[in-house]
Amino acid sequence: MADQLKLDTDAPAAAGKTRRRRNAGSPRGSAGYERRRSRRIATTWQVCILLALIAGMKILNTTSGNLVMPSPEAVFWQSVEMWADGTIPRALGESLTVLGLGFILASTSGIMIGILLGGFPFLGRVLDPYVNAVNATPGAAFIPLIIVWFGLYAEAKIALVWLAAVFPVLINTTAGISNANKDLIEMAQSFGASRWTLFWQVMVPDALPSILSGLRIGAAICIVGTVIAELTMAQSGLGGLMIKAGNRFQMDRYFAVVIVMMALGSLITIGLRLAERRLGRWRVAMQDGG
Amino acid sequence: MTETRPPIISLNGVSKSFKDGQVQAIEDLSFDVRPGEFVSLVGPSGCGKTTLLRLIDGLVAPDRGTVLVNGRPPDPTYNMAMVFQSSRLLPWRTVAGNIDFVLGLRGHAPKARKSRVQALLGAVGLREFAEAYPHELSGGMQQRVGLARALAVEPEVLLMDEPFAALDAMTRETLRGELLRLWDRRRMAVVFVTHDIDEAIILSQRIIVLRPRPGRIDAVVPVDLPEPRWQTDPRGLPAYADLRRALWDRIHAMGREGVALEELTGAFGDEP
Repeated sequence: MADQLKLDTDAPAAAGKTRRRRNAGSPRGSAGYERRRSRRIATTWQVCILLALIAGMKILNTTSGNLVMPSPEAVFWQSVEMWADGTIPRALGESLTVLGLGFILASTSGIMIGILLGGFPFLGRVLDPYVNAVNATPGAAFIPLIIVWFGLYAEAKIALVWLAAVFPVLINTTAGISNANKDLIEMAQSFGASRWTLFWQVMVPDALPSILSGLRIGAAICIVGTVIAELTMAQSGLGGLMIKAGNRFQMDRYFAVVIVMMALGSLITIGLRLAERRLGRWRVAMQDGG
Repeated sequence: MTETRPPIISLNGVSKSFKDGQVQAIEDLSFDVRPGEFVSLVGPSGCGKTTLLRLIDGLVAPDRGTVLVNGRPPDPTYNMAMVFQSSRLLPWRTVAGNIDFVLGLRGHAPKARKSRVQALLGAVGLREFAEAYPHELSGGMQQRVGLARALAVEPEVLLMDEPFAALDAMTRETLRGELLRLWDRRRMAVVFVTHDIDEAIILSQRIIVLRPRPGRIDAVVPVDLPEPRWQTDPRGLPAYADLRRALWDRIHAMGREGVALEELTGAFGDEP
């Protein structure tokens, strides 16, 4: 009898617990729990896909031979060797120099010109077709001109990277400034802000999230630009290493380099996205809170 | 005494239209505000209340007529401040930083600003939120920061554009009391735009009823209720009920003259 009673009282309590659990999964209550759970599931799937890809490589390698697909373990040992003998570190250094200098030049000049065009809307309107025309032309179209002007080495490569990346930064900066929050501008005007203060203390800070996404897009383009420059000008860096391996059908070497490129690109984009989220936090919060 | 002093705000035959004259926002509108007076503007949507504030603030110029503040054409660098319906705080600055921003605009030395900011935050009860960012505050707290920011410039004219409209009833009530207390101490002229007839009666000394399309003055109603009203609530007084009825009669008359009923009900919420 007593057991029976206990069971009866337990049942609704258990039901209550599951109900609470379900409520905790609702967007307001415990969005964090739900998010962590879905992230864990996503990670599991990502690992599964990676293992499937490696297995696929192995199968393709055994059925079709080393030329079509190197075996995963050959790629692994080749990578270890190329890192150990300094081949990859040296190439990585060369690539990072071109990439880094190109990106720094593109972002500083892009932000400066973007601020100028945003601050003088008339100038921006006049130059708009030219900015669009150059931006819409593939960076590779300028390679012959760049070679004639700057040669085949680092300067030419940096110039190509700069040219490819400067426009997204510039366009995002200008757009961010010209789309600055009208309500905040009116507020500052009503308190008697000068045009200078209005620009530097309201419009430019308000454009910061847009500038940062310009930088992120620019960085991604810098990676593409670097590899194209290394393939088409004097072969160097990761791009040079990759094309040399490919031309000699050393597919395991080729894959070892491609993996480094993938990792580099991912790291740079992840880093910039984190920076963007940190600096643009107030904007995210504003959108959430209405 | 105050009546003999020249008006601090003076509008004379002011007209303003938008979209190249297609939308007449305000037509031939005249009124004065005395120094230290609390005036409310009420009326259905489309009667140009916000445009009026922007004209007084000098953010827009009238098509015809004159706007004078302290005898001169309005100039935002004059001691005037605006409180908006949404707080319009700079989201990348802290609460203290937002107040510091306007002190900087008025050319206060950075050293002197810090204690001013503290004092202002104390006045609106937000001293411990100095380092918080606007998005971390509730709507009511944000609006208090907006009020503190406006008070920072020690305005002789405070323009308020439905500052409490977006807040819940309880917060609205509290902030009305705080506004009256601050006004009682500083006695700046206040032009307060609202949709809420009760709010207008509780706060102001004079109510200007506007009619829409284009905005014109329908009636000017003095509010002769005992002050200070932040200490004793006037809502129980017979005079309050009479005033409220008189104002509603004006508005119903507007309805009979062809102002769409949904505009009235929309503007005045759940009223009769």
